[in-house]
Amino acid sequence: MNWLSGFADSIALRWEAAGSRTRLLIGALVVGLIGMVGLTPKTFLGVTLAWPYIGLIAAVGWGRSGMAFAPMALLVLFGFAQDASQAPWGAHGLANLLIFGLSVLVHQMFDTDRTPFLSFILPVVTLFSGIALVWTVASISSGHIVRVTPMLTAYFATLVVHMLIAPLFDLGTRASLSRGSAG
Amino acid sequence: MPRLSGKGYRQRPLRRYGFFVAVAGLIALLLLQTSPRLSQGVEPVRTAASDQLFHITRPSLIDRLSGASEKERRILELEARVRELAQYKALALTMAERLEVYEDILNMQGEPGGAEVTARIMAETNGPFAEALLANAGATNGVQEGYFAENDRGLVGRVVQVGQRSSRILKVTDFNSRVPVMGEASGLRAIMYGGRDGLGRLTDLPEQGAFLPNERILTSGEGGLFPRGVVVGHVRGVEDKEIRVDLAMLNGQLSYVRLKPAISVPTPEAYPVEPEAVELAEEDGS
Repeated sequence: MNWLSGFADSIALRWEAAGSRTRLLIGALVVGLIGMVGLTPKTFLGVTLAWPYIGLIAAVGWGRSGMAFAPMALLVLFGFAQDASQAPWGAHGLANLLIFGLSVLVHQMFDTDRTPFLSFILPVVTLFSGIALVWTVASISSGHIVRVTPMLTAYFATLVVHMLIAPLFDLGTRASLSRGSAG
Repeated sequence: MPRLSGKGYRQRPLRRYGFFVAVAGLIALLLLQTSPRLSQGVEPVRTAASDQLFHITRPSLIDRLSGASEKERRILELEARVRELAQYKALALTMAERLEVYEDILNMQGEPGGAEVTARIMAETNGPFAEALLANAGATNGVQEGYFAENDRGLVGRVVQVGQRSSRILKVTDFNSRVPVMGEASGLRAIMYGGRDGLGRLTDLPEQGAFLPNERILTSGEGGLFPRGVVVGHVRGVEDKEIRVDLAMLNGQLSYVRLKPAISVPTPEAYPVEPEAVELAEEDGS
């Protein structure tokens, strides 16, 4: 099994050495792949599987590196792709962008790298805000309160997937901390 | 230890400005869609986008690799055919019902019914002497000499020999087989016999008229050997001054056949029967 750990180490080293643009590209490819699979019907033993809001995961991850044009543009683009199903144009883009902004804000406010609890709880809160935002836009645009259960299952799926692939959305830089909070 | 961004502080307000502009733009886009006219205008865009996404995602890569997409395509094709055939079935049932009513009105004597038997083909003789099939149903199953055999596509042949548990069917492809047939569209009558090439040949053709190309050939019911209207095949064309028939039964399976009774018309009385004698016979019967 030595070759396996060696292979994993080499991948980790390459990832460490990769620049923010390469990381952004890889993240975008991951979003595209998961989003594309998400468009197909998925059932397991007759039960329809919930699919994560991968755009929100990317927004939370990329938001840790601070405000930047490229992630914003990608998130809006992914939002439009998500809207193609049935949502009003701009709904998912708005959710992705606002969660990106929220993620930037909270990572500027808190030193998440040195407080494990915060680094765990902040994505939980921001992702929930994103799902709540999507639910709100859906309810407003359809003129009635939409079902909560599918949104909750999608939220939990998003949370689980975030825990698994969050490092892929780390651009290698950090949002500038407020004066005095940096160590 | 977090790495501080290397970008200059001057760029940050611009990014924030860009962020708020993008958010405002998306909100404006959402609000604009509340207008029905605008919403109708963007619907074709959504349709086109959905079509593109549909093409990309269906069938999925996994389905393509596992061959599931091919199976799914086949299932969809068969489902479409079933739907189409269901329409024909409904139409056939309606027409059969109407036909029954018309026959009642006209007091028409329909084709005689009888016990039908599905038999499995045990052996096939394709030797130089006869083309025959051996089926596993005989006299104990109610099969009688003169029964005709059909498969899922059309006429197979006629029972020429019956044992206790088996019966021999002379195929229509045999040279000695003679089937009174008619053209479905032209209505012309002829006799069909088999050939070594697996095609039927028409003989005793009428002096006037000609069979139509690709016309369906059915049994005419003349002679009492076969009922009227059993599918035999369709006209292939004229070869060696003979009309050849593509036999329908060759397109179906020959593992199982349905053995059905032929027409049995009672022999007419030799002399006109006296009305009094009929009344007496009826009284005796009651």
